[in-house]
Amino acid sequence: MTPLTATAVGKRYGRRWAVRDCTFSLPEGKVVALVGPNGAGKSTLLRMAAGLVRPTTGELRAFDTPVRGRIHPDVSFLAQDRPLHGHLTVREMIRLVAALNDRWSTDRVEEMLALQAGVDRDATIRTLSAGTRTQVAIALALGRLPRLLLLDEPLSDLDPLARDETLRIIMAEVADRGTTVVMSSHLLADLREVCDHMLLIDDGQVQIDGDIDDVLARHRILVGPAADETAVQGALVSATRTPRQTTMLVRDPQPTPHGWTGTEPDLESLVMGYLRAARDRSARRD
Amino acid sequence: MIWAAFRLQRLQLLTLLGLLVAGSVTVVLLRSTMVDFFTSTRLIECVAPNAGPCPASPEDLDAFAANWGDLFLVGRVVIVLLPALVGVFIGAPLFAQELEQGTHVLAFTQSVSRTRWMLSKLVVALVPALVVLVVLQYLVWWWLDAAGVLGPHANGSFHVLNFGVEHVSPVGYALFAFALGTFAGAVSRRTLVAMTAGLGVFVAARFALFGLANRWVPRERRDAPVGADADLSQGGGLWVGSGWLDTAGQQVSPDRAAALTRTCKGGTETQEAYTACLQQSGVARRYVITIPESSAWLAHVYDFAVFGGLAVLLLAGTAWALRRQS
Repeated sequence: MTPLTATAVGKRYGRRWAVRDCTFSLPEGKVVALVGPNGAGKSTLLRMAAGLVRPTTGELRAFDTPVRGRIHPDVSFLAQDRPLHGHLTVREMIRLVAALNDRWSTDRVEEMLALQAGVDRDATIRTLSAGTRTQVAIALALGRLPRLLLLDEPLSDLDPLARDETLRIIMAEVADRGTTVVMSSHLLADLREVCDHMLLIDDGQVQIDGDIDDVLARHRILVGPAADETAVQGALVSATRTPRQTTMLVRDPQPTPHGWTGTEPDLESLVMGYLRAARDRSARRD
Repeated sequence: MIWAAFRLQRLQLLTLLGLLVAGSVTVVLLRSTMVDFFTSTRLIECVAPNAGPCPASPEDLDAFAANWGDLFLVGRVVIVLLPALVGVFIGAPLFAQELEQGTHVLAFTQSVSRTRWMLSKLVVALVPALVVLVVLQYLVWWWLDAAGVLGPHANGSFHVLNFGVEHVSPVGYALFAFALGTFAGAVSRRTLVAMTAGLGVFVAARFALFGLANRWVPRERRDAPVGADADLSQGGGLWVGSGWLDTAGQQVSPDRAAALTRTCKGGTETQEAYTACLQQSGVARRYVITIPESSAWLAHVYDFAVFGGLAVLLLAGTAWALRRQS
C-alpha cells in the first residue's frame, strides 16, 4: 500500500495557488525530504495530507483511502507551530492526547521521551525549551503508532544538539516500526543524513520526486569557461556566471565537454540550484 | 475525551464551583437573617398576601425597606448578569482560545472527529454553568419569596427585573449568551474579540427582544361601568392597554376618546360631572387589557423559545465555522 499519493492536487487561497497540480506517490518505509523555498506550498501540502485543509482540486490518498476532512488513522502530523496546551504538564498533555485517540500507546511516548536527557513529566509545557517542546510533540505524534509520519519543519528552532536528538528519535521510529516519514526542512545537511527520498516543491509544483541517490547521480555541476556554454548538453537547471567562468547545474548531462569539469552535486548544491532557478523565474515574472 | 474537555475547562469549572458555594452560602445567610428579623418584629404576619392588619411597628417596616431594598436589587441583578458572564467567560474563550493558540490542530489530527470534539467541549462547558445558574436562581427566588408582599415579588412576574430572573428565562438567556460567545469565537478566532463582540450583541439583543414574548400570550380584558368605584388593576398582571366601551360594547376609538376627554374636562369641576358628561356622550364602561399574572409562565416559555432558538442557530453556525476551519 502506498502511504501517500497525490493526484493533481491544488489549493487556492483567494487568487493565489499555494499548491498546483501536484502529483506524486511516496514509497513505503522511506524517509522523504520535502524541500522547497519559503512559501512553496510545503506546509499546505502536509496540512492537506493530514486532513486539515481540503484541496481545491485533485485528491490525496493515505494508504489508498481518500483524505477528506479528517486524518487517516495510520497517519500522524506534527504542525509547524507545535500546538500544545502551555498550561498543562507534560504528563497531563500525554493523557490529554491519549484521550483523543482510539489507538494509543503511552509506552511508546515514554520510550521516545526516554531517548533524550531528562524531560520532567511534571514541568508545564510553557516552561520547556523550544527543542524539548518539539520532542514532546513528536513523541505525542508517535503515540498514535502511525505508519506515516508527517513532520512540518521538525528541526527549525533547534540547536545542533536538540536537532541531533530529534533526528535520533525519528530514526529510532523508522528502525523500530518501519514508519514512512515525510519531513519538510531547510536544513539540507541534516536531511542528507536521514532521508533517502526527496520531493522538491517549487511554486506549488513538484520539481523533483525520487530517490536522493538517483537524483544526485542524474545531475552534474559543470564548471567551465564563460565563453563556451554551447558545448554543454542536457537540461540546464540554473547557472551562475562570472566574467571568467560559468557554473551550471545540469540534469541528464551528456559526457562532460572538453575544457569543463563535472562533479556530482551534493544535496545542498542540488537544492540550491533548483531554488536559484525558482527565484530567477519569479524575478522574471515580476 | 470527556476527561480532556474537563481538564481544559478546569479553571472555569473551579471558578463556577467557587461561585456556587459562595453564592449559595450568601443567599442562605441573607434569607435566615431576614427571617429572624421578621420573627423578632412580627413582620412575619405581614408577609402573606391578603394578610390581616400588620401588627408590626411602622419603624420596623421602614427599617426593613431601608436595609433590604438594595439587597433585593443586587440579588436579582446578579441573576440577570450571570448569563452574560457565562457567555463572556465560558462561551467566548471555549473555541477562540484553541483557534488563537493553534491547539485545535492538535485535536483535529487525532482520532476523535471534529463534531465529537466540539460536542464534548460544549457539554462540559455549558452544563455546569447552567446548573450553577439554576441553583443560584432558585435560591434567590426562595429568599425573595420569604419576603412575600414586602419583597420584590409584590411587583408581579412581569416587572422588568423580576421577569429576567424567573422561570426558564435565565436559562434561555444563558444558552443564547453562551452560543453567541462560541460562535463569535469560532468565527473571529480571537478570544478578546469574541468576548467583547459577544457581550455587546448579547446586551443589544436582550434589550431589543425584551417583551417580544408577551405578544404571543393571550390577553385578558377587564371592564367596569364608567364612574363605578372598581379597581381594574386588581389582580396584577401586565397592563397593555386601556380605553372606553360605548353602550353597544364597542371600543371607543382613541381619537374620539381624546376629543371626549377634552370636551368633558372643559367646563366641569367635579369627577361626578365628568363621569356624567362621558355617559351622555355614549361611553358606558372603561376597560383595561392585561396579560394576567397566571399566564406569566407562558411568556417565559415563549421567551425561552426565542432565545433558545437563537442559541441553536448560533451553535449550528459554530459547528459550521469549525468544520471549515483548517
